[in-house]
Amino acid sequence: MPEVSFGAVRSVSSRQNTQREYETVMILRPGVSKGAILELVSKVQGVFEGQGARLLQLENWGVRTLSYPIKRNKSGVYLYWRFLGGSDVVAEFEFGLRINEHVLRYYTVRTDDDVDPHARPSEITEDLLDAVSEPPPDPEPEVEEQEDTEDSYDDDDQDDQDDDDEGGN
Amino acid sequence: MAIEDRKKRASLLADKALVIDYKNPQLLKSFLTDRGKIVPARISGVNARQQRQITKAIKRARMLALLPYTVK
Repeated sequence: MPEVSFGAVRSVSSRQNTQREYETVMILRPGVSKGAILELVSKVQGVFEGQGARLLQLENWGVRTLSYPIKRNKSGVYLYWRFLGGSDVVAEFEFGLRINEHVLRYYTVRTDDDVDPHARPSEITEDLLDAVSEPPPDPEPEVEEQEDTEDSYDDDDQDDQDDDDEGGN
Repeated sequence: MAIEDRKKRASLLADKALVIDYKNPQLLKSFLTDRGKIVPARISGVNARQQRQITKAIKRARMLALLPYTVK
């Protein structure tokens, strides 16, 4: 078996030659530029490569309203990361986030232990990495507000009638 | 407080496919009071294991500002 270098899992309870799966959600300033996001992504990729970790998934959840203000920001851009690595990777990853002025908050959760690094395919492609700077095309609809608008707007009914007339003609 | 208010109701989590996850604030919202407190299991009718998962998920979601700590 060839020598594989990857993020060390220094734990007595972990099996040898395995990695851990982590997921991180981070909140960026709402006004963050696409360039800044891409720069952050490439920096993190550098960290991962240096530590032998592997990015599995990267999603942009778009701008969401925060439940409470963080550093006077009422909304933020959410990024979701899933990656394989060890505790050293997380430490260096989070150190990079702490000194990044665009990152308001980050939170990492360990989701899986004793992962065979070869068994997990990565969904990451170049296109996907570029797409991360753009928010998703369909922002998550807020159910409560939609219900309110449906109830309160009388105009909708009139529009529907107009449509019917056109269909008749 | 009327006794009926404390009555156990059918669990929202009867659907076994439902995963309790901090990334799903819409689901977790149903286990918060209108003041943002976590609803006790004796009210929501979930079992102890689910209550532990819900509590953990809500606290994680709060850290990420997906859920409020308090609602005034």
